[in-house]
Amino acid sequence: MNFVLKITEALLASVRADLERRHHFAFERAGFLTAGAARTQSGVMLICRSYQPVADEHYERSNSVGAQIGSDAMRNAVETALASRSSLLHVHSHGGLGTPDFSGTDLRSAHEFVPGFFNALPRMPHGLIVLSNDSARGLIWTGPRDKPRQIDGFVQVGSAVRKFGKTQ
Amino acid sequence: MSRHDRQSFLGKHSESVIKATTVGVVGLGGGGSHVVQQLAHIGTERYVLVDPDTIAESNLNRLVGGTSEDVMKQATKVAIAERVIRSIVREPNIGAYHCTWQEALEPLKSCDVIIAGVDSVIAKDELDKFCRRYLIPLIDMGMDVHEIGSRYLIAGQVVLTTAGAPCLRCMGIVTDELLTQEARKYGAAGSKPQVVWPNGVLASTAVGLFMQLISPWHGKGAPSAYLEYDGNKHTLTPSKSFALIKEQPCPHYFAEEVGDALFDIRKKVQANAVAMDAQVKAADDSSGSQSKFVEFLRGLLPRMRRR
Repeated sequence: MNFVLKITEALLASVRADLERRHHFAFERAGFLTAGAARTQSGVMLICRSYQPVADEHYERSNSVGAQIGSDAMRNAVETALASRSSLLHVHSHGGLGTPDFSGTDLRSAHEFVPGFFNALPRMPHGLIVLSNDSARGLIWTGPRDKPRQIDGFVQVGSAVRKFGKTQ
Repeated sequence: MSRHDRQSFLGKHSESVIKATTVGVVGLGGGGSHVVQQLAHIGTERYVLVDPDTIAESNLNRLVGGTSEDVMKQATKVAIAERVIRSIVREPNIGAYHCTWQEALEPLKSCDVIIAGVDSVIAKDELDKFCRRYLIPLIDMGMDVHEIGSRYLIAGQVVLTTAGAPCLRCMGIVTDELLTQEARKYGAAGSKPQVVWPNGVLASTAVGLFMQLISPWHGKGAPSAYLEYDGNKHTLTPSKSFALIKEQPCPHYFAEEVGDALFDIRKKVQANAVAMDAQVKAADDSSGSQSKFVEFLRGLLPRMRRR
């Protein structure tokens, strides 16, 4: 089962712009994308709907990670996704060029919080995305106890159609 | 010299980008038949072709690739388009659907861009809705011959629309009045006049917009465009009324509406497990052997069935 994620150029630009903003103590920012899903011949297409930044006050001080967000941020994100019955995708950026990799911390924390999204939204897949300045990588869970799968490709749609990610 | 040397200005990776792009062509009459021919010459290899019609004698004045023999054989328009592509592209991947586009939704969902040459306003409206739901840029062509007194005016348009940018309703191509007029005329006999050269102009422009989307060769591309054709003056010009609204968000469609309305990942996972089961059984039945592939599939099944 292939997973492809589609996003408009405008929405992706707004995600990047938010994640590039400095926080007064966190070293990086995070946010949440909501997405609709569609069955395709080869798998599932996730189509981004909106972006919810993590509010400044929802970051927590931490000496071990670049950005730690609290339960209020998670709750807000789930509430937003619930209102439109959307997939919920945690997103942050590592900067640089080319297909980025997840850090060990990214993967460990995602294994803790992503399965929790299924309590509120069991019908939708959920996951984790890391951006670079020109590409992305993603992991998708199809159920709370399933192993995550790689997102096979990303498609940006706007003044141009640009494909990137694992398959490019 | 290779086949695509003369279009190398499209970018270093343009050949692979063009090959990897799946294009849906809905309507393979006067406009669509031109489009597929040009796409094939450019090097497009992946197609979803949809048209419910067979060729008729009256199509021969404009259907690119259509022959008298096709009329005698009552060939489908998708088969003719497929033949045109295969005569140019060595190993194309073609999904040919001799049906209405509403019966080919699954393959159309996977298209990167859809180019449409459909006559009815209702079809344009529904296709726009579909493309917005699945974030697929839509390039639509339309042409009409209007009787003015004892003379005629050939007019038409090519538009590009993507999610977020003005839709066909914003552009005035789909209006409630036109939909009502069309509904009143439903089933009435007669067909619109059509000729080959305006179709060629509109199709070439549609292919130009397609190329600008997937392999931009300049920096002034936009997510939407509206070009008006005046077949009497032989001009194609950007719509003045569209210039006033092109930066405004579309008030007719919303980002929350994208995707399948009743999507359930649990059903998709279950369906995949059933399909995998069937594959394992078929492999068992055909060979009776315990191949490594069958063992591999069996290994996957418990994980997929778990929920």
